Amino acid sequence: MAITPMEVYKLLPKTNCKKCGEATCMSFAFKVINRERKLEDCTPLFEEKKYAPQLEELKKMLKGIEEATETGLIVDEELCSGCANCVVVCPVHASDDPYGMGSGYGPTIDDPILRIEDGVVKVINMKKCRRYGKNRILCVACRENCPSDAIRFVEG
Amino acid sequence: MVTCAGCSCLCTDIVVKDKVFNACRRGASIFRNAENNKAKPKVDGKEVDFDTALNKAIELISNSKNLAVYGLDTVPLEAQELAIKLAEKKEAFIDDNSSFCLGDFVEMILKKEIPTTTLDEVKKNAYVIFYWGTDPYNSLSRHLSLYTYYPRAGKRQRGYEEDRFLVVVDVRKSHTAKLAKKNARFIQVNNDLELIDGFISALDGKAGNYFKDVSRIISEMKRADFNVIFGGLGLKYGLNSDYSRFLEMVNKMNEISNVYFLPAGFHANMRGFNELMFEKTGFVNRYSFREGKASKDFEFKNLILNDEIDTALIIGTDPLNSLPFEVARKLSKIKKIVIDPKNTFTARTADVVLPSAITGYDQGGTMVRSDGVRIEVEPLKEGDVSDISILKRILEGI
Ligand code: SF4
Ligand code: SF4
Ligand code: SF4
Ligand code: SF4
Repeated sequence: MAITPMEVYKLLPKTNCKKCGEATCMSFAFKVINRERKLEDCTPLFEEKKYAPQLEELKKMLKGIEEATETGLIVDEELCSGCANCVVVCPVHASDDPYGMGSGYGPTIDDPILRIEDGVVKVINMKKCRRYGKNRILCVACRENCPSDAIRFVEG
Repeated sequence: MVTCAGCSCLCTDIVVKDKVFNACRRGASIFRNAENNKAKPKVDGKEVDFDTALNKAIELISNSKNLAVYGLDTVPLEAQELAIKLAEKKEAFIDDNSSFCLGDFVEMILKKEIPTTTLDEVKKNAYVIFYWGTDPYNSLSRHLSLYTYYPRAGKRQRGYEEDRFLVVVDVRKSHTAKLAKKNARFIQVNNDLELIDGFISALDGKAGNYFKDVSRIISEMKRADFNVIFGGLGLKYGLNSDYSRFLEMVNKMNEISNVYFLPAGFHANMRGFNELMFEKTGFVNRYSFREGKASKDFEFKNLILNDEIDTALIIGTDPLNSLPFEVARKLSKIKKIVIDPKNTFTARTADVVLPSAITGYDQGGTMVRSDGVRIEVEPLKEGDVSDISILKRILEGI
């Protein structure tokens, strides 16, 4: 699942009241995704009771977004079973550690992108991910092979 | 590196330091919770010293007229061997979880009724990979990443999307079924036999059920000389104990390509118990040493329902927790000796509790993976007791 500005926008009040300091709810949505603004900055959402259900949903959707890595990868540990599909499919792992992660085992290198610790996946070294930096490639292999949607990308 | 005995994958690359590395959630929790909820030696619910409990167990077993030995799927072969000896000596019944799990499939393999292979060969060679009536993501978490669809090895270096073809057959869109995307098929069935008939028809050159999916899969199978079907409980129940059509299908598939079968097993050493029993008796489970044969009547659950036993020796399993209510109710009325590392539900109502050790954590031994490969398990540390030492002493005492 990807979190997009549109998904966030749909749940905002959509009144363009500007209380958040943005011109429109849509631009606020973009900034939330890019972690430049916080949901709390939209005061009507918190103050007006009628938005409560939307707020709940937004909170759920954005859970973990602040801890999201620079590539926008978020892991919901509660959903992760530690199956390691994501670790093994990663093309970077396959080329850097062909007889470890590339062959289905635990890493034999010290700086994998992802690794299973205490039964759930942890982000160890995001700099190696193809989504990182200026020349990034929008790789989705890990997310696509997670059966429980424990991996999400924030797409701003 | 240590071995995890959390399921029949028996992963050997687990590292335990301040954290547990590489194990799935279930495996990691075994190591992380090893010291919690430990069993204590007990007689009639009261804590006693170990030898008192052991002597009481020996007494109950010696006095039993109709004993059943049950469980055993989480303990090493060496302990299973002793339990079988004990059952033989007492002319007792013996059974494990495989009688309602995948024992039938293991039996077909041991009787050589179906071609089989190992997970290492699957990893190196398999192209079309079926998961039929099983959701390994939930029951054998690392099966796909370690052995089947995802690893690159041998002839399969180009990754899952190019070098493997996944087929998931299930009654619902399981977690595993969600992985069937590019170069893959998910077939939702109401009745497994309809799909089997579909394959048989197509292989005979006729159009039948599920024709589009089936003919695509057959043409994929022809592209490789190594394909594999993993069968789970869903398939077993779908076939209702009549495997003839399924065997016919696999045989027909083998006329066009090599197709192997493996059970997608669950308990760590279930296959080990089946193999030992088969060597000794020609049957894989639910056996009576008094009658010298196996029968559905000798399934642990049925022995209890039919009031056939006065005492049960329960090793490494928690039947009160897993068996249906009416069985559990009756089970609470007979004498029970529980050998288990944990203070399980069954242990709480047992007449005697003998604390043992956790395979891979504080006891070692030989375990048999779901493909029949024997794995020597080195424990993380050596404990004071083990299933092997306890069973040895019981056997000497009776
Ligand atoms: S404060 Fe909320 S409702 Fe008002 S413009 Fe900003 S996002 Fe929209
Ligand atoms: S996005 Fe691609 S490169 Fe990055 S961790 Fe996932 S699979 Fe690896
Ligand atoms: S694929 Fe999903 S469930 Fe499996 S280890 Fe990765 S995040 Fe966890
Ligand atoms: S897949 Fe099975 S053997 Fe491997 S770590 Fe998980 S529970 Fe342990």
